[in-house]
Amino acid sequence: MKKIKYEDIGSILNPLKNLQFFARKPVTEPLGPRPAAEIYRGFHLNDMEKCIGCSTCQKICDNAAITMVKVPHLKNDPVNGIRNLRPAIDYGRCCWCALCVDICPVGAIELSREYVHTCNGDEVDSYFMLPQEKGMHGTVEEKGWTKTETNDLLDRHRQKMGEMAPEERVDNFDEIVDGFTPEQAVLEASRCVQCGMCHDSCPTHMHAPEYIRAIWKGNVEEAVEWMYETNPFSHVCGRVCTHRCETACSLNQTGLPQGSEPIAIRWLKRYAMDAVPHERIKEIAASKKSATRTGKKIAIIGAGPAGLTAAFDLIKQGHEVQVFEALAKAGGMTRYGIPYYRLPDDILERDVDVILSMGVKIQYNTRIGKDIAMEQLHKDYDAVILAIGLQSGRSTRIPGSDHKDVHSAVELLRKIGSVRDDIKAEKDPGFEIPRSAVVIGGGNVAMDIGRSLARYQKQQYGEVNMTITAIDAMENFPADDVEIKESLEEGITIIPSRGPQEVMLENGRVKGLRTWKVISVFDDDGRFAPQYDESDEQLFEAEMVIEAIGQMAETDLLGEELTEQLEWQRGRIKVTEDGATSVDWLWSAGDCVNGPDVVHAVADGHRVAESINEALSVER
Amino acid sequence: MTITPSGKDKLSSCSTLQDVLKVATEFERTARDFYAALAPKVSKRIRYLVDELVVEEQAHYDLFTKLANDPEVEKQIKQEINLPPSNKRFSDCIQLPDLGDNPDDQSILQYALGREQAAMDQYHALAENAPEGPLKDVFTYLAQEETEHKNELEKIYYEVVHSGGV
Repeated sequence: MKKIKYEDIGSILNPLKNLQFFARKPVTEPLGPRPAAEIYRGFHLNDMEKCIGCSTCQKICDNAAITMVKVPHLKNDPVNGIRNLRPAIDYGRCCWCALCVDICPVGAIELSREYVHTCNGDEVDSYFMLPQEKGMHGTVEEKGWTKTETNDLLDRHRQKMGEMAPEERVDNFDEIVDGFTPEQAVLEASRCVQCGMCHDSCPTHMHAPEYIRAIWKGNVEEAVEWMYETNPFSHVCGRVCTHRCETACSLNQTGLPQGSEPIAIRWLKRYAMDAVPHERIKEIAASKKSATRTGKKIAIIGAGPAGLTAAFDLIKQGHEVQVFEALAKAGGMTRYGIPYYRLPDDILERDVDVILSMGVKIQYNTRIGKDIAMEQLHKDYDAVILAIGLQSGRSTRIPGSDHKDVHSAVELLRKIGSVRDDIKAEKDPGFEIPRSAVVIGGGNVAMDIGRSLARYQKQQYGEVNMTITAIDAMENFPADDVEIKESLEEGITIIPSRGPQEVMLENGRVKGLRTWKVISVFDDDGRFAPQYDESDEQLFEAEMVIEAIGQMAETDLLGEELTEQLEWQRGRIKVTEDGATSVDWLWSAGDCVNGPDVVHAVADGHRVAESINEALSVER
Repeated sequence: MTITPSGKDKLSSCSTLQDVLKVATEFERTARDFYAALAPKVSKRIRYLVDELVVEEQAHYDLFTKLANDPEVEKQIKQEINLPPSNKRFSDCIQLPDLGDNPDDQSILQYALGREQAAMDQYHALAENAPEGPLKDVFTYLAQEETEHKNELEKIYYEVVHSGGV
């Protein structure tokens, strides 16, 4: 037996020391829970109104303790970045790490100081619960671990995009935005939380989380592969898309002390498309083309984004596609409506060239209804798509608006778009540049024509004398904020809340636009009913007045007989969700039936192509 | 169809509620018939506008006819005019064009708006000049009806003209 050393066991009198406790007062701890620490990580809280259902909390949870549950009565508006999903917590899995709190883009989910929950055997599912603002027992008054600026895991601010200074750009049509460097693109992509709100809100449901992830991995070809799944106009959309994805982005939040900007999804798309060689993009696009031919022929009227997207899909599916374009080049309003400084022609050409490389044929300078009758197309093709856009501008028809120096914005932009390939012609758009002009309208078209004419004015007269005025208050202008900002930077005067009353004439020439102050645009019921203060009258002096108040499709090409055969809905051809008209061989897509931008036209093109493919497959 | 000076005289000379409503009904009938005759002349694309105007004018025609034949008309009109008519100025700057053979949607709406504006103004003027009592009430009521119709048309005008493009 091993001898126990005296030093290890202590003195023989040690047990007697316990006698001292006999004299002490006994202590009894209460059975109820004690208050937790100030920033204790107890059960979850979730502000149901603040939570946007982005599911970022679910994605970060390593224990798979979070399940997104649909709460039907909550708002579900994916276009504006709100889903009716809310996180439910499985406390059999949760480890209270609080990463869900630290990652939450809106700061809705938090932890409480509540940590006790007991139940009977038949209530075991009460450990899987949907946190609410007052905690799982509805009694929480104090929060524990919450979101602060220091524990926020998100990079809230986007990479700064380089662009030409206003004084550098105002006398030319060079592209304004530089685009991301590879380093910037990776850093920007790394901000994405992969929630997919962008995908839900995109009209054509681009796989933005996937291509952003590919960019983050440094694999731009993979990014382009993802883009071509849904968008053959990715070059164009990388520059001029209305980027609803960024509106819906879960990082697009206001009211946070640290601020929060959405991921620059559009610029990331642009970066990837520019980074991959054009020939490689053609290969990527062609990789999904069917090897078999169906023998079916489809005619498409209009070589804009809707028509060419449909052409792209249909040729991939093995059909023969012939596009008819009234003008000299393809692109529709992207070429003849969007100025060069926003979308250079060579960029648009790349998208068009990819589509042509698939085997799509375009017959230019061919006006259907004049050069070829609709009935002829019906005879020669298995299906016809009408994708003619909104080529005509609406007029205010105020007194004086029929003067020759009163123009529609789309008419002038078409002239500018028609000549801009020619460097010499870039300085001469084929009409006399006014020394002063006023544009009526507050949308992007108004900004486009105002900024284009401002460039010509600067080139020819050395100064900008351009006014844009609209009936709306500035905060309600339909134009993108950046368009308004850049217009102001370029010396354009923007005057909101003015109602045009008359184009003033003097000695047969336009003298200016007479306006009244707008007191309100809509009535209490939200109905358009502008009210004016007639005593506040202003004249905007100008040699030219340009109207940019609305657009319409020219449907005369259909002819009387087909017009009568078709069903119409408030001035537009009535189509099904898939773009089928009431005439069995005719479909319609794009701005002429749905509005109002490139990405919607692309989405429409896909839908129509799918519908035709199905219809022709049944015939086969 | 605007209320012509002779129409105004006709209304001014009315001495009973029923007489006023009968004249007003006749105005609505002529307007309805005008739009009905126009419908086949315009493109099917915009025929809905003319068809809607026919329906609207028919509704007014039916309403006024019913009121003209209603012995309780005075009481009913008093109830209706409790809501003051709003006087929007949107249509003021819209000209009355010559519609021609094949008018477009904007021309038709401008015409209809001008017509409603003119009718509204006339009924207001008649109401102002009429002595207090049932006649004043009926003119006020008619002005209010035309104002409401004009407001509806303004909404349609906005949807038709200020649409498309961004």
